[in-house]
Amino acid sequence: MASTNSREWKAVCEKFRQAQDLSEIESRKDPENDPFRSKYKARELLKEIHCTVKNFEVDDRENEDRETDGQSGEHGDGEAINGGVHQVHAGDSRAGLRAAKLGVIEYYLGVNHIETEELSAGEEYLMTCLKLLDECTVTRENVSLLIQVRNQLGILWAGRDETETAQGFLEKAESIYTHYMKEDGQPPLDLVDFFVLEEDAPSQQERIRRFEMAYTHTLYYLAQVYKNMGQYERAGQYCHSTLQRQLKFSQFVPLEWAINAATLSQYYITKTRYMEARHCLAAANVIAGLAGEVPSEAAAKESEVEYEKREQLRQKRAEIARCWIKYCLNLLQDAKKLLEDNIGELDLDRQEELQRARRGEEEEKERGRKTAFLFDSTDTFDSICSQEEKVSCIFPLSFDEARAIFLVGQNYVTQAKEYFEMDGHVTDHIEILQDHSALFKVLAFFEEDLERRCKMHKRRVDMLEPICKDLNAQYYLLICRQLQFELAETFYEMMDLKLAVAEKQDQPDAHTIKKFNHLCSASIKYYQTFLDSIRSPEGKFPEKLEDDVLRPALVAKFRIARLQSKIITGNLATQLENLSLSLESYNFVVQYCENHPESKKSVETELELSEEMVSLLPIKINRIQGRIASSN
Amino acid sequence: PLQSNSNDGDAIKVYVRVRPLTQGTGLTTDGDRSLCLAVTSEHTVRLNSKPEPRNFTYDHVADMDTSQESVFSFVAKNIVESCMNGYNGTIFAYGQTGSGKTFTMLGPNELTDFSDELRGVIPRSFEYLFFLISREVEKSAGAKSFLCKCSFIEIYNEQIFDLLDSASASLFLREDIKKGVFVEGAVEKYAASAAEAYQVLSMGWRNRRVASTSMNRESSRSHAVFTMTLESKEMGQGVVNIRTSQLNLVDLAGSERQRDTHAEGSRLKEASSINRSLMCLGQVIMALVDVSNGRSRHVCYRDSKLTFLLRDSLGGNAKTYIIANVHPGSKCFGETLSTLQFAQRAKLIKNKAMINEDTHGNVR
Repeated sequence: MASTNSREWKAVCEKFRQAQDLSEIESRKDPENDPFRSKYKARELLKEIHCTVKNFEVDDRENEDRETDGQSGEHGDGEAINGGVHQVHAGDSRAGLRAAKLGVIEYYLGVNHIETEELSAGEEYLMTCLKLLDECTVTRENVSLLIQVRNQLGILWAGRDETETAQGFLEKAESIYTHYMKEDGQPPLDLVDFFVLEEDAPSQQERIRRFEMAYTHTLYYLAQVYKNMGQYERAGQYCHSTLQRQLKFSQFVPLEWAINAATLSQYYITKTRYMEARHCLAAANVIAGLAGEVPSEAAAKESEVEYEKREQLRQKRAEIARCWIKYCLNLLQDAKKLLEDNIGELDLDRQEELQRARRGEEEEKERGRKTAFLFDSTDTFDSICSQEEKVSCIFPLSFDEARAIFLVGQNYVTQAKEYFEMDGHVTDHIEILQDHSALFKVLAFFEEDLERRCKMHKRRVDMLEPICKDLNAQYYLLICRQLQFELAETFYEMMDLKLAVAEKQDQPDAHTIKKFNHLCSASIKYYQTFLDSIRSPEGKFPEKLEDDVLRPALVAKFRIARLQSKIITGNLATQLENLSLSLESYNFVVQYCENHPESKKSVETELELSEEMVSLLPIKINRIQGRIASSN
Repeated sequence: PLQSNSNDGDAIKVYVRVRPLTQGTGLTTDGDRSLCLAVTSEHTVRLNSKPEPRNFTYDHVADMDTSQESVFSFVAKNIVESCMNGYNGTIFAYGQTGSGKTFTMLGPNELTDFSDELRGVIPRSFEYLFFLISREVEKSAGAKSFLCKCSFIEIYNEQIFDLLDSASASLFLREDIKKGVFVEGAVEKYAASAAEAYQVLSMGWRNRRVASTSMNRESSRSHAVFTMTLESKEMGQGVVNIRTSQLNLVDLAGSERQRDTHAEGSRLKEASSINRSLMCLGQVIMALVDVSNGRSRHVCYRDSKLTFLLRDSLGGNAKTYIIANVHPGSKCFGETLSTLQFAQRAKLIKNKAMINEDTHGNVR
């Protein structure tokens, strides 16, 4: 082979450098109408290099034959890595090095063709590269190439909708990495190492960086492949590993990483894995902090760059805060599900049972904490842990525990609202308020004192009612409906609480009755507004309800029916009127389900009760009519 | 009678228009007279795919002989009318470059006056709108007055540009509790007649083309949104009643350019250059989060600018029509198929926001 300092070799290296430049730097400036100009030039150079290297090969053929005889069969573990294919060369033998050298050029030619949209040709080069190396054991000389060529083939086949083929290449790349790190683990060579003069060679650190990056990409592609195959659990795992490696090898843009981690927390939430979710969020907080200080408002006014930066930082941090809100909310809601009895009240026996069970687990908790999923960057680990300490990741079982989580959530509500102001971010702002309301709602579940519970619901009303009044339904119909319904429900809940309080008293006073009736009519009003929003522009209620409003609309009718019958009045005529209205609404539910039998399953319980009421109420109405008649 | 199929509850309607074959325009179909589809009824089109032909059903399918007037009366008339009544309306044109979007919406190139029989949906909508306005004003004997403002923006690479002010930097989307989503700082021009509105449109349209050469942007890679805001004032018994509504006319980027936004297949996002961050990891995670079991969660990745701007049109209480333009030539098979599929999916586009209603149904 030509010696590494011969003039000929220097020329090859120079060509290689030019090809790299053309492909990576020049090509970005290519004109739209000739987008691959530099890539084509790079391709020509690569082809020339390929020829030269081939010629070296002819010179050295005799040596090669002799050498391989002596070496075959000596590399047991290499064989295992290569899946039982019979290897002829050691990766670091002369023949192995030549294969790697040729392979690198084949690889770059392959990538070049793929980038210029000649996929089949690209594939051929990549496969040739693979074949050359298949005869070699895995060594520090070729391991990087072995992984990268498979990454490329994975991308290529995924683009052809052959997901399983892609998966095969990528999983192989993954196992090559794992084996290599276990068996050898020496800092590997980089692809360019074969074609640069010593003085231009990448540093050891840079080599490691590129190698680890290639493997991170393998995981990143696998995450996508698993997602495309519907293997969400695995995809999630690979997303996590990708993030973890980015952090470990300092290969990330802080804000972007933080947002990815925060989004991943939302995946864990849907899987009720709160420990992992919290870890992601804590890490997101810490890493977002690395993106720097938020420029002041004054600075933002001065320069556009500062403005953009301020906007970005504030927005992303607010987004992360919103992910935290969801964390607190879901944790509380899941705990509620665990603790509630069949009518949705706190089940005290169950609460005690769970608390006892938890005391038993206390010691095991620390041991059970898995380290596999931790973001283990040494620089940030401690800060991440201290973020985690601020909020629990186990289900709250008492009011105090629930309140602690609620307060964290509420704190993030305040943070998120700082950026997502009503003026300019209507939808986001309202979504945050809705979460805030939901936090109060679930906290109220843990509160045993009925009056205090009622006050929590009042807080919900206070935050939602003004917006509901101001929001333009022409543009925000769906949000309006959500708010109307939620307000109706909140008043309904307050009505129920007042009723429970009143039942404890012997004789409710006039003030209590007035309050109670007010809650009833407020609830009716919002249910009615919601129902009106379903009407057509001409004011007609639809014959058939759309799927997304079917259950809400029928539930609204049902609740109105119940509320009408609850209103307290001493006047028989008014009572009669209320009961007739109530009957009318119960009848609506029953009639609708009769006309549209397919809707029965979405309101089973309500329908059953409505049917019962439709048969009972007329009797009650008759009795009152009788009393009115007799009193006249 | 078949028309009654399309009930008014549907938020989005789809009109498919098949353009005639072209000659000498440099399109890929030159010389090849064979067709890849056939209009089988006024609601269906059959695509000659192999091994089995496939049928698609829409609110209306217009064949090659359909006149501009007929497209207008089917698609736009109703929308313009409801705009007069205070409802928002949107008309989208969707399709591959060369499938006839501009012809459908605008008409033949260099259109200058309204007498041209070939003028498209937009000029005809202007005429009809101002016709309705003057009729209303007359009928009310001066008690009713109208104000019409136009803006014209372009969305390119997720950035918003003002076509009525080519010197402006990129603009931002904001939301207002009363007037919904709007482009902050976009120029608004008053128009008192169809001709004036058309002037605004053509001025902006010219900017769009200029932009495509001087900044290396292809017009077909950008979405153009022309918005008319109609404000009506009615005086009666000392009370002033004000109503506003919007009419959006949207020329979408060529569908072949949208593969990325409507990415479906299983293409992997690549991290090609070594220093670039893994941008789409978030998208992968988002997909995982999306298939969640109804839990409340927050997704940090935002809508595209276009869907955000037209959020209200996609499943609110606005009236929306999508005109899907297709080229019938055999060589356009792939793009035609994807346009037809998109158009079918469009019917399902709805804002998925649900009512926050307890689903476990505790009855107390």
